[in-house]
Amino acid sequence: MLDFLDNPATLAGANRDPDGDMHAADFDPVGMAPTEFAHPTFSVPAIADPVAFLKHQTGVDAKNRIKIQHGTTTLAFKFNHGVIVAVDSRATGGSYIASQTVKKVIEINPYLLGTMAGGAADCSYWERELGRRCRIYELNNKERISVAAASKLLANMVYAYKGMGLSMGTMVTGWDKTGPQLYYVDSDGQRLKSDLFSVGSGSTYAYGVLDAGYKPDLTPEEAIDLGRRAIVHATFRDAYSGGYVSVYHVKENGWEFISRTDVNDLIYQYQAEEKPSLV
Amino acid sequence: MEYNGGAIIAMKGKGCVAIAADRRFGIQALTLGTDFQKVFSATDKIYFGLAGLATDVQTLLSNRIPSPTPPFEFTSSRPIQSFFLKTKADICSEKFRMKVDMYHLREEREISPKTFAHMVSSTLYEKRFGGYFVFPTVAGLDANNEPYICNMDGIGCITTPNDFVVSGTAENQLYGMCESLWEPNLEPEDLFETISQALLNGVDRDAISGWGGIVHVITPEGVITRTLKGRMD
Amino acid sequence: MNGNIEHRFSPYTDNGGTTLAIAGEDFCVVAGDTRQSEGYLINSRYSPKVYHLHNNTVLATGGMHADGVALVKRIGQNLDWYVHKHDKDMSAQALAQMLSTILYSKRFFPYYVWNTLGGLDENGKGCVFSYDPVGNFEKLHWSASGSAGHLLQPFLDNQIGHKHQSNVEHHLLPLDKVLKIVKDAFNGATERDIYTGDFVEIFIITKDGVKVEKHDLKKD
Repeated sequence: MLDFLDNPATLAGANRDPDGDMHAADFDPVGMAPTEFAHPTFSVPAIADPVAFLKHQTGVDAKNRIKIQHGTTTLAFKFNHGVIVAVDSRATGGSYIASQTVKKVIEINPYLLGTMAGGAADCSYWERELGRRCRIYELNNKERISVAAASKLLANMVYAYKGMGLSMGTMVTGWDKTGPQLYYVDSDGQRLKSDLFSVGSGSTYAYGVLDAGYKPDLTPEEAIDLGRRAIVHATFRDAYSGGYVSVYHVKENGWEFISRTDVNDLIYQYQAEEKPSLV
Repeated sequence: MEYNGGAIIAMKGKGCVAIAADRRFGIQALTLGTDFQKVFSATDKIYFGLAGLATDVQTLLSNRIPSPTPPFEFTSSRPIQSFFLKTKADICSEKFRMKVDMYHLREEREISPKTFAHMVSSTLYEKRFGGYFVFPTVAGLDANNEPYICNMDGIGCITTPNDFVVSGTAENQLYGMCESLWEPNLEPEDLFETISQALLNGVDRDAISGWGGIVHVITPEGVITRTLKGRMD
Repeated sequence: MNGNIEHRFSPYTDNGGTTLAIAGEDFCVVAGDTRQSEGYLINSRYSPKVYHLHNNTVLATGGMHADGVALVKRIGQNLDWYVHKHDKDMSAQALAQMLSTILYSKRFFPYYVWNTLGGLDENGKGCVFSYDPVGNFEKLHWSASGSAGHLLQPFLDNQIGHKHQSNVEHHLLPLDKVLKIVKDAFNGATERDIYTGDFVEIFIITKDGVKVEKHDLKKD
């Protein structure tokens, strides 16, 4: 019953619930689908419309409301030396700041990064599950999974729960055979490929800074500074972003953690910098 | 209240009172300004602050756009306290100043904080059904330099505790801070430190309050006004 | 009668109460009040919601009492099975991840519980894990949650995290200071929050095991 404890690979869910109980529905009668890729199972209330129930319970009119913690400004962009990922670290439940120290960059494995926006639990659970599946892929195929495939695994997993209230806006990035890669995946099942993304309530502010300073031939130092500035300015304007700015650089041999800085120190530092005159 | 956000505290000390507010002006998640005035003076010894809807704060209190913040001068920081900047009070309140001046002319004496609070209360209750969305806090010294603080709800129901009052979107956080930091008979400088710590730490757990603070400590000798350097996120 | 009556499925109630946890250099303190209430009614003045799990960790639950009891029972069973299979206790870090997965397994019918887990990490240092109802969790040094969590968290930020104290050495506080702060915090919370009061139970986790202290709070 608890054999998942022997086999950490199945801990994240697979075809068992967290107690390790098997469910009749999880058995694959034809024996075609590899069970390690079966979808995890979740308890659902025994009522006519469980989706409406959850929607009500997490909404504003519920008597005993479940406020799901939300994350905010994240960005990533490709340039000639790889990919820069920068995020803030604030989690809010309503206007209350639940945490200033959230890790919004999820280290899926040494060469894949995911970012967190939307429901914090949704992002961390599914990206952990993604990490497990990428590892299984690696063991089966004796080579690393491509970023395209990894992001598609994630998109397909959450697409199976479309309309059930998952909330996730994530960027999956890494460096594979084809070079640096960047995808955006969200809980609606959308999966986009581009050179530059920003996700979250502060994303519009981040885009403003990013678009003004972005070009493919930035040096790594310039690119890191640009990503960091974009997040810092977003935390200044957006009430639901703040805390610390974390920066990662995805390179050919995997990602590198660059820095984690209190945004408040940077806001005062940037404000003290000399600015061009208005006329 | 979640439309604009904001936080205000008033505290009693030994022969002095303090009133503090955050400096953010924003519309929901968007921060538009970091020098918004929500504390005003009624007389030399009475200050009052308004939390709530920013448009009503200005409609009710001021017909003048606050002038740019005067140049800062740094003061040295004592151990266990935050950095702060000093500024001259630049405070106005045309609507209530008119009422206070009329009281002064009719009665030929200064209005007391208690009377002023009731005047604010009546002004709010005049619009009992559909009034201003503001939650006033009054802090002052009376003719005998006895401390007075109070706050009220949007239609003028006054509460006058012996320790401190809080209002705004960070209310819960401020209650937690004040309940554990405040003690009776604080001297002006200690009262300043207490109210500053309560404000800064309280608003740091509220997404829509903060972006600096302002503190006025009212003593019989005069008012000490300082702006606080706070987190800008 | 031809009007339709709508019955909404409402399985949750909030039984109030406040919990808090603070990590020290070689200890961890987890505390919770013992009032259990429903609206303006106090169901019990002594209904503990902080549980000593047998692997030298302590779990504080807040929110709905019944869900908390069910969850703790489920965790307890898993911990027992782990011992039978591995002949050792589950580590605090492993339990932290397992709790997250258990909570997320009810993503579409959540446990109405705000959890805080305290213990010692693999190096014997104090650690605290704080959760939302659907299993998002974070390793912290201090955390307050429950009905007066919003009141206590900034106080802990200030006193434990030394926030806004510029000329102070930042270090982890010793046990006696932490206990003082915990008691101050609960007295303050009891003063303003009607769902917090009666008693506070403080669990002190060290490498030698778990000790419990019980102190009076106001009962009004």
